[in-house]
Amino acid sequence: MRRNYTVHLALAAMLILLALIAGQVRRWDWHSSNFEVRVEKKRETFEPRDVPRALESNTGEPEVLVRFKPGVSEERIQAIAARLNDRVEDEIESVEGLVAVDDMDGESVSEVVRDYSALAEVEYVEANETIRVEPMAEDFGQSFAGYPEELNGPNDPRLGEQWGLINTGQREGKAKADISALGAWSKTHGSERVVVAVLDSGVDYTHQDLVNNIWHRPADMEMYFDPQLGVVDDEYGFSAIGSETDDARDPMDENGHGTHCAGIIGAEGDNNEGIAGVNWTVEIMPLKFMGKGGFGSTKDAIEAINYVIQRKREGVNVRVISASWGSRQKSRALEDVIRKAGEADILFVAASGNDSENADRTPHYPANYQLPNVLSVAALDRRDQLASFSNYGAKNVHVAAPGKEILSTWLNGGYEEHSGTSMATPFVAGVAALVLSVEPNLSVKELRARLIESVDKLDALQGKVASGGRINAARAVGATR
Amino acid sequence: MSYSKQDAVARARKDLAARLGVADAEIEDESVAEADFPNTALGAPVGDEMSGMMLTSGWRIRLKAAGHTYEYRADRNQVRLYNFKGANHKV
Repeated sequence: MRRNYTVHLALAAMLILLALIAGQVRRWDWHSSNFEVRVEKKRETFEPRDVPRALESNTGEPEVLVRFKPGVSEERIQAIAARLNDRVEDEIESVEGLVAVDDMDGESVSEVVRDYSALAEVEYVEANETIRVEPMAEDFGQSFAGYPEELNGPNDPRLGEQWGLINTGQREGKAKADISALGAWSKTHGSERVVVAVLDSGVDYTHQDLVNNIWHRPADMEMYFDPQLGVVDDEYGFSAIGSETDDARDPMDENGHGTHCAGIIGAEGDNNEGIAGVNWTVEIMPLKFMGKGGFGSTKDAIEAINYVIQRKREGVNVRVISASWGSRQKSRALEDVIRKAGEADILFVAASGNDSENADRTPHYPANYQLPNVLSVAALDRRDQLASFSNYGAKNVHVAAPGKEILSTWLNGGYEEHSGTSMATPFVAGVAALVLSVEPNLSVKELRARLIESVDKLDALQGKVASGGRINAARAVGATR
Repeated sequence: MSYSKQDAVARARKDLAARLGVADAEIEDESVAEADFPNTALGAPVGDEMSGMMLTSGWRIRLKAAGHTYEYRADRNQVRLYNFKGANHKV
């Protein structure tokens, strides 16, 4: 009997033990890819592998970005990294569980990715790619040499051709003979609260690189009314003239000149499309007074400026007019309306002209009007020399900007390269808008002074322009770089 | 209308014939050359007009009639008579 009892007891013990083992197995979770065993409800401890001391410090960029699943604690993340001989280099606080991981034992990026991909705690892991803006033109293959790596440009594919923004010496240019756009962009990309009026042949407001930066009449604003013109639908801006096909006052560009100028000021930046403007974000107000032929009357220019002043009084934040046109004819009426624009705190940026003449002796208007809100612009080439065609004047031409072989937007969704003080002018108008994006309360007097005082002085411009220099966007906006 | 070089030359000849009161056959094509002009008015502004300050490619057309040479400037958008009796004209 006693022996039976003992046997029964032994059998019971064995059954109990088997039951315990079976229960434990059910809780085991086999990972099919590497047979790693994860035990629920039981915290694993990790023993770090031996770390070669020579590779303990790693001054390079973190190899991977890892996002751990919700609920994985910071301590656990650190422990996992330590076990894999890695280091959590940074935590991205705005995204729960996202960390940058630095490999410490010489594994390749793909090996590090594989290590983390195998973990059940990990939602995803990706290599930390270095983003560079690659120039697209065939005849140069350099990145933005000479510029700090951390000044990353936008992803616009043709940025490398825009020497006026970033001059790396492409096409035999001179490195850094540009407006210091990269430095300015470290502080601001522009603002949709700043409106720049492009007074010109209109703007192709449907261009894919402009469409998101075009001003629209606010929903709560009535259509424009003028006693002589009647009601004008200014949904996309204003035209003082009819088009080739009808009388509707549509500011759609039929020539291309206005669209080109608009792109320099504010082609949408970082949209993986075409080019970048001086402002990645801005509101461009098309004002059309020149027709398909690229010319227009003084009276129509006055009409368009009058429109801007009226809209400014009604609350539209137009701060800059970009005027890439002119003639030798002086008009008191035009001068008076530009003065009124200044009284409405609007800067008037004008092209100095393309006759290779001294504007102090042979005036060119409206650039030569002696008004406190007028800023006259000369053109530079890619080697920081005054462009051969550009007018100049130690007294009446104020600053210089890139104006030769300038790539920008064109009709029908296109892009073209053109030259002229027409192209230099919107660079300055664009920088004015950048300044206003960070200092919106500057008066027109202060804004004009800022643009003049912040130039890069150039030997080639001494005695040629009043400031002696090329516009510098970074210094104008107060960027440290 | 968009002008080709041939269109522009034909228009210039027609204009000159009318201005001078001569037959087309009395007009000679002296030269037709590609040219860059300093602005969108082809360097030949009329009256008080304003034009874009962009270098503009076109054609310089020199026609000879009655012992004189007359210069027309043209691009795809326009034809202009340059400095005819001291003034420019849109054709």
